[in-house]
Amino acid sequence: MSAIFADHLLSWMIAVPFIGIAALAVVQGRTAILVSALTVTLVEVALAVRLWVGFDSAEQGMQFVERMEWMPTFGIQYAVGVDGISILLVLLTVVLCPLCVLASWNSITTRVRAFMMLILLVEGAMMVVFMALDAFLFFMLWEVTMIPMYFMIVLWGGPDRVAAGLKFVLYSLTGSLFLLVGILGLSLQADTFDIQSLAGVAYSPDSQFWIFLALFLGFSIKLPMLPFHTWLPDAHSEAPTAGSVLLAGVLLKMGGYGFIRFCLPIFPEVSTSFAPFVLWLSIAAILYGGYMALAQSDLKRLVAYSSVSHMGFVTLGIFSFNSEGIEGAILQMVTHGITTGALFLMVGQLYDRTHSRSIADYGGLHQRMPRFVAVLSLFVVASFGLPATSNFIGEFLILVGVSYEHFIFVVLAMGGIVLGAAYMLWMLQRVALGEARTEAARGLTDLSVREMVTVLPLAIAVFGIGIYPGPFLEAMDSTVIYVVEQFEQAGLAIATPN
Amino acid sequence: MSIYTLIPLLPLGAALTLALFGRRLHGAGHRIVIPAVAGSFLLSIAALREVLANGAIEVSLYRLLDVGRLVVDLGFYIDSLTVLLLLLVTGVSTVVQVYSSRYMIGDARHSRFFGLTALFTAAMTVLVMSSNLLLTFIFWEVMGLCSYLLISHYAERRSAYRAATKVFLVNSIADVGLLLGVILTFHAFGTLNIPEILSMARSGVDNPTHVVTILTLCLFAGAIGKSAQMPAHVWLPLAMEAPTPVSALIHAATMVNAGPFLLVRLSPVIVLSETAMGVIATVGGVTALFAAIVSLTQTDVKRTLAYSTISQLGFMTLLCGVGAFVAAIFHLLAHGFFKAFLFLSTGDVLAATQRHVETPDDGPQRSNGAIFAGALAMSVVPPLVIFSGPYQHLWLSQSFSAANIALWIVGLGTVFFTAMTIAKSAASAFRLGPPGASDGEPRITPALFSAKHVIGVIIALGVLVSLLLLIWRWLAAFLSPAVGVSGEVVADPSTGFSAWILVPIAVAIAGWAVAYVMRGRSPSHKTALWQKRLYVFFLNKGYFDEIYDRYIVRPTINTAGWLWRVIDQGIIDKFIVSMGPSTVNVSRWLWRVIDLGFIDQIVVAVGNRSVGIARRMEQIDRAGTTKSVDGVGRGVDASGHRLQGFQPRTLQHDLLVVVFWLAVALGFFYLIA
Repeated sequence: MSAIFADHLLSWMIAVPFIGIAALAVVQGRTAILVSALTVTLVEVALAVRLWVGFDSAEQGMQFVERMEWMPTFGIQYAVGVDGISILLVLLTVVLCPLCVLASWNSITTRVRAFMMLILLVEGAMMVVFMALDAFLFFMLWEVTMIPMYFMIVLWGGPDRVAAGLKFVLYSLTGSLFLLVGILGLSLQADTFDIQSLAGVAYSPDSQFWIFLALFLGFSIKLPMLPFHTWLPDAHSEAPTAGSVLLAGVLLKMGGYGFIRFCLPIFPEVSTSFAPFVLWLSIAAILYGGYMALAQSDLKRLVAYSSVSHMGFVTLGIFSFNSEGIEGAILQMVTHGITTGALFLMVGQLYDRTHSRSIADYGGLHQRMPRFVAVLSLFVVASFGLPATSNFIGEFLILVGVSYEHFIFVVLAMGGIVLGAAYMLWMLQRVALGEARTEAARGLTDLSVREMVTVLPLAIAVFGIGIYPGPFLEAMDSTVIYVVEQFEQAGLAIATPN
Repeated sequence: MSIYTLIPLLPLGAALTLALFGRRLHGAGHRIVIPAVAGSFLLSIAALREVLANGAIEVSLYRLLDVGRLVVDLGFYIDSLTVLLLLLVTGVSTVVQVYSSRYMIGDARHSRFFGLTALFTAAMTVLVMSSNLLLTFIFWEVMGLCSYLLISHYAERRSAYRAATKVFLVNSIADVGLLLGVILTFHAFGTLNIPEILSMARSGVDNPTHVVTILTLCLFAGAIGKSAQMPAHVWLPLAMEAPTPVSALIHAATMVNAGPFLLVRLSPVIVLSETAMGVIATVGGVTALFAAIVSLTQTDVKRTLAYSTISQLGFMTLLCGVGAFVAAIFHLLAHGFFKAFLFLSTGDVLAATQRHVETPDDGPQRSNGAIFAGALAMSVVPPLVIFSGPYQHLWLSQSFSAANIALWIVGLGTVFFTAMTIAKSAASAFRLGPPGASDGEPRITPALFSAKHVIGVIIALGVLVSLLLLIWRWLAAFLSPAVGVSGEVVADPSTGFSAWILVPIAVAIAGWAVAYVMRGRSPSHKTALWQKRLYVFFLNKGYFDEIYDRYIVRPTINTAGWLWRVIDQGIIDKFIVSMGPSTVNVSRWLWRVIDLGFIDQIVVAVGNRSVGIARRMEQIDRAGTTKSVDGVGRGVDASGHRLQGFQPRTLQHDLLVVVFWLAVALGFFYLIA
């Protein structure tokens, strides 16, 4: 029994959410549904802890690998495994899901069963995306993540939900189309869908460029990179709290993960020639996202634009092609998932009380909601990368990484950090300090125990990683070194400037 | 792990305890914080003894980062410089906490206040003890956060929370420079470990001068921010929105001292670049003079004190810029003790009147001997020290004599105006007694307030003791391993005082005299227009706040709004949104042109042609009159008729469309393959 469990840990992690969906179909009663959804996500957390304990950070390749023929005629497999990069994103997903269930406890009043099923569906699909070793499997579940998100936005969203949902689907489908073209192009040339063997294949120079471009567009729409970012504020602000958390916390990370998993190892040369372009685009995203956030009067929109800025850091780190930058980028993805997820949770808690997302409708919350303001301040300072939070470690590593390329990137990216401090503190000032501006804001109640439980694990994670990032960096170190070695072997590593 | 790890850990633990259980302590937070900070003070004394006996102590903690070439080991490096600052920080902090335990009675956020001041103290101790530049930076920022939270203590007050945000932002802009400096240092020296960097700098690592210059200036940018040098000085007066004991903490013990400390700590690196030294001296000098004059014109006691702090910090920076690092530290210590005392006294006055004091010209007399003693010490001691002994060599050894003279003038001007300010504020501000009947009930002063003289005497004693203890020879000898020495000049501590000393003393006395003569006089109609203008200019603090607000803050926010409307909503979104209708339009057009106009035409034409063929065949058929042919002809005829009446969207039609597109697609693939 234990052998079945231990040998197929990843398959269990994938299966549990789907079993949960089936279980939810028969459970009756609102509370029972909520409790069983929470139980399923917590079981998933337990499995993830088991995975983390069993993970050997010294090993370079994939671990816990499981392979099974699926469509032999096309060489498509069911193949899953984790390495140092994916395990962190798996952990992030698994931690955020129970919090999403908790956040929806009272705020989702209609069709609770369907909503919980969608959360579990996203979780299951994300598991596969981060664990897949087969490009086809990866693509298929990549597509699947979009569908529950669409329904979450359209059925439980804010006033503009239909337009936002449509925009989200249009952007995502366009991205997926590029991704499909890219993956088909890869497999046509390499004659396999196996992600690991895709890297060693010699692609013809022309096709390299076009396949890279297709993959790049697919991932950059998801991430999102600069000109493709306008779906994000709409989708984030209209989605229900759990939807925003999943979108910002996990779904965006698929883009960054794709870059590290596909673009870098498979096309080191093209990546290098694309790098200046991507780096400048990242800088533009950092500064532009920050600027946009400064202009917002809607809380969720502000947090959404800050995501654009933070994702700019991720691409900045990835395309500096050294351990510092890539590890910083992965850490930044994880910590962005935590802090932005937490910020969305907290905005959701406010929204549950007043049904307003407008900054102008609050003010003076420190009087009625001291606990809320204390926790919000923690995440606000974490969000703009105050030292001793995990965001600082991520951003610092990225800045060191990109400083090997050119100092101008460091200087400009730091401008983004200052902008981050500006819009976040200004928001905090308008929401939490001073006197209440509306009657509704005057009569608010402080966080309940359930709401504290929702955000406190994230607060602990933010400061825990910020003060002692060792285990996380160690976990990804050997994998990232492997990626970087690809560049060094190709003679593409950037020399250290003096 | 060493016992000295407890120096920051004690206050840190106290802060954590208050953060977690503050609500349940019901205003007893100080009972946890005071012993913790006092414990740190005792440990600092122990550290002083050990440093005196065995030299620098190194404590390593744990490895924060080990990524690629970047290895960051956290640890403490306690040498003579660190120990002196530790004594100042923990000593002043203890006094401030004891004072606050009375001052903050009945405050709604009692434990928040004590938790944050404890954290503030802990951050400053880590900052001075850090053996790694990244750790320094981390706590540099933590201190910024503490100041933000303490300034917004009275969170209902609009002026308080606006000030808090502004203070943090000004600091964070400067900290960009510091972080950049940290990264540059990593590139230049390959490590962030401070002792290693210092020994490399001393032994002359082959770094190009321009790299060192840029690096030093970046680090100095951070110091500009924290130590309120121009043009980042605007935050310090704003920080006055915090409860008064916090001002004592910020001005005297923590925060502002971080700048000169960093410069002295990295002095072996700084002295490698003459350009950077020149910039540092200039910024410090300009700040010192400007702030000294501004502090003369201010009517608010706390603001006067703030500008005098800025001026003193400018002086310290100036000293660092000319290479007089030991003198800078001495000034820092003296200023720290004196300012703590001055602020706590101000706190008394403010507590008595419950408002910011407009310095009155004719308040009820209530002389305060201790304050005059402090004022005396402040206006005489620093210049005395600076222009004396070994450091006149440094003053005179600069290669540019013109620059040297300019620095002299700036230095003496600052001494003059500082003397004036101090004499003025000491003479007038503290003569204010409890408010009269017109101001309502006088505040009942808690018992310990009467013991403020005790505190005053303690601090005055501190000044005196440090004066006595840190006589030149000893101080220079004690600190010399920690500081870098500029150029070829080697300070000889044994050189005694010279006649030069009389100049600053004379200037200071002149300042007092002028202040005395001018007392009670404000600009009247008799003064000339340019004098009034000058007065108004300095009264408005050089309009720095207004310039920042109008030319930086407003435009940034407005541009952001404009960009959002124009680019995100106007261009990208409009483009995306218009994609929908335009796609529909394109497909409609395609449908009309290709499906209806082209393919259907072909189909209809084929139909017509077949009808024609059928008719022809019918004619042939009739001519041949064969029954079977007739049958075929009739069949074709029927189909021809059917085709003629063909309507779009039947199965065959769709199939034809599909075949057409397939052909196009195949052709396309053929072309690109």
